Amino acid sequence: MPPRFGTLDVNAWARAASTINGFKTEEWKLKGVQILELHIEIDDDPADALIPRTMHPAIPAYAIINVLHAPESPAGPFSVGEVRIAGRTGVRPRGFVLRSFCDSEVARKELAARWGFPVAPGAVSLSLRHDRVVGKVAVGGKTVLEAELQDRDAISGGDLQYIASMHLTRNRDDQKLVLVQVDPEYVFSKAERGKPRVMALDNDAFGAGSHLRLMNPISACFATAEMTLPKIRYICNPELPAMQGTTKLAA
Amino acid sequence: MKFGLFYEISVPRPWGRETEKVVYDRCLEQVKLADELGFDTVWAVEHHFLEEYSHCPAPELFLTACAMVTKKIRVGHGIIVCVPEFNHPIKIAERTAVLDILSGGRLEVGTGRSATWTELGGFRANPDETKKTWDEFVHCLPKMWTQERYSYQGRSWSMPQRTIVPKPYQKPHPPMWVAVTSPGTEVDAAERGMGSLGLTFGGFAEQDEKVKRYRKIIKNCDPVGEFVNESVSTVNFLYCHEDDAEGVKVGKRFTGTFNYLAAQLLAAREAYPTKSYPSLGLLPSLRQDAAGPGDASGAPEGIAIGNPARLVRELKKWESVGVDRVNFLLNALEVVPQEQVLNSLRLFAKEVMPHFEKKAASKTEAAAAAAGAR
Repeated sequence: MPPRFGTLDVNAWARAASTINGFKTEEWKLKGVQILELHIEIDDDPADALIPRTMHPAIPAYAIINVLHAPESPAGPFSVGEVRIAGRTGVRPRGFVLRSFCDSEVARKELAARWGFPVAPGAVSLSLRHDRVVGKVAVGGKTVLEAELQDRDAISGGDLQYIASMHLTRNRDDQKLVLVQVDPEYVFSKAERGKPRVMALDNDAFGAGSHLRLMNPISACFATAEMTLPKIRYICNPELPAMQGTTKLAA
Repeated sequence: MKFGLFYEISVPRPWGRETEKVVYDRCLEQVKLADELGFDTVWAVEHHFLEEYSHCPAPELFLTACAMVTKKIRVGHGIIVCVPEFNHPIKIAERTAVLDILSGGRLEVGTGRSATWTELGGFRANPDETKKTWDEFVHCLPKMWTQERYSYQGRSWSMPQRTIVPKPYQKPHPPMWVAVTSPGTEVDAAERGMGSLGLTFGGFAEQDEKVKRYRKIIKNCDPVGEFVNESVSTVNFLYCHEDDAEGVKVGKRFTGTFNYLAAQLLAAREAYPTKSYPSLGLLPSLRQDAAGPGDASGAPEGIAIGNPARLVRELKKWESVGVDRVNFLLNALEVVPQEQVLNSLRLFAKEVMPHFEKKAASKTEAAAAAAGAR
């Protein structure tokens, strides 16, 4: 087994964690979702401090910047912007969510309570132009994330492979910290690829401090899809390797 | 059916000064023994930056060392990454010719295009382009090996007229192979008259279909070389032990380690969405299958771990679907002690190999002989 594990201080990280209202969440079907996602290689060694011991870093380490707009949902329209660190839980690719920001208070509360997303209030926008797609997150009037896909080029939705996310949350029932895996399903109606560019990233806003250093841009993609935010299927103990600390929940 | 070895050269952390040397020395000792035992080919991959998984960026050097300590075993350069950022085609033609000379005409040339962003990104290669450059390279190589004067004006590279020397020892040139990972690449191999160096296993039914498709298409191929290399090879794991339970137990530890390591790497498809990489690469199906359920012993179907009787049974299945050769991974992260690896090879040669006849001359050997004699 590879000895490189994440070294995140889980208890310190938990200060920004949401509280999840148990694990029996009903799925949400979101129609016409627009998703901008950038992949950027990051400095390898410091990034280990941004994933829990449950995960191994990907080789090479990379960050996922994701800005999503859902025009309709059970909680009304909302947009979310977040940064994840890609890694592996055992042999499965997963992106550990550092922080999320959401522009709808109703949706924010639902996303936190149902899935435990570490989601805070923020202004999130997704702008579509002929030459680019721009995602932006602002908190208290200050831009904390601005990233874009340049030179939009159509590809097949079948070529996209979004990896599932993991995030730290506190379970309301027993107050224990737990990692929740969310593996949405997508039916793509449109997909594009282009060059990634990050204009602004406030590390502190995403809790990354000096551990997150963007290095080498990989790709950017933009998609329109029907997205299903699923029931929670797996949770992990954040202090144990995934092979020892993963629990499959009843369907 | 022929049997070979397949090296990724996996090196565990921590990496001390001696660690890599010890692993390389052990690999050479295994190859020397395999030559004495009658294994047919030793293949070595070209991988870059794949920490712990594969420390084998210069297989031509390892294979030269193999050739120097052996007499008969063929040396498989598998695969050479046919992407200009990794390898210039002139250098490929030159160094394969030298290796063929130094090995006394024992070279097999495997070609491919890399499957990880870890490597493609490291060389700043464009994943969209690799299938195209691979195709261009494999059409050029045989001409560079056989024509006294060569010039080329192509899409991804060009050169004015020069004399590329030396020429390979085998005449007209060494057999050529394609690494088959992505679905449909067996068709690419067949259409070009190249051997199918299979790196995946999606079950025997799927394998049967792929081999039939390959055999059918290659009958009407337009060969890139001067002869057709009609051969189907696949990769497997090997751990052979008198006691079946012990063989399965150790074998599963080794296959599990290999699978775990491979999963940490960044597949091209995960990082960079492109139709050029429809599968995840790096033996994904083999990994999946090796981790999956088999019979009550826990040995996955088709994987060569266990006692000799089990191995004969599993390998006969491969033979029945038309596979000509099976190449074995022997270790990962050195989880199997060297003496056990060597004993596994000895037992395999003694108890399993005799159940499989070597054909007097393969179709490839006959075709090569007709085209100019090896």
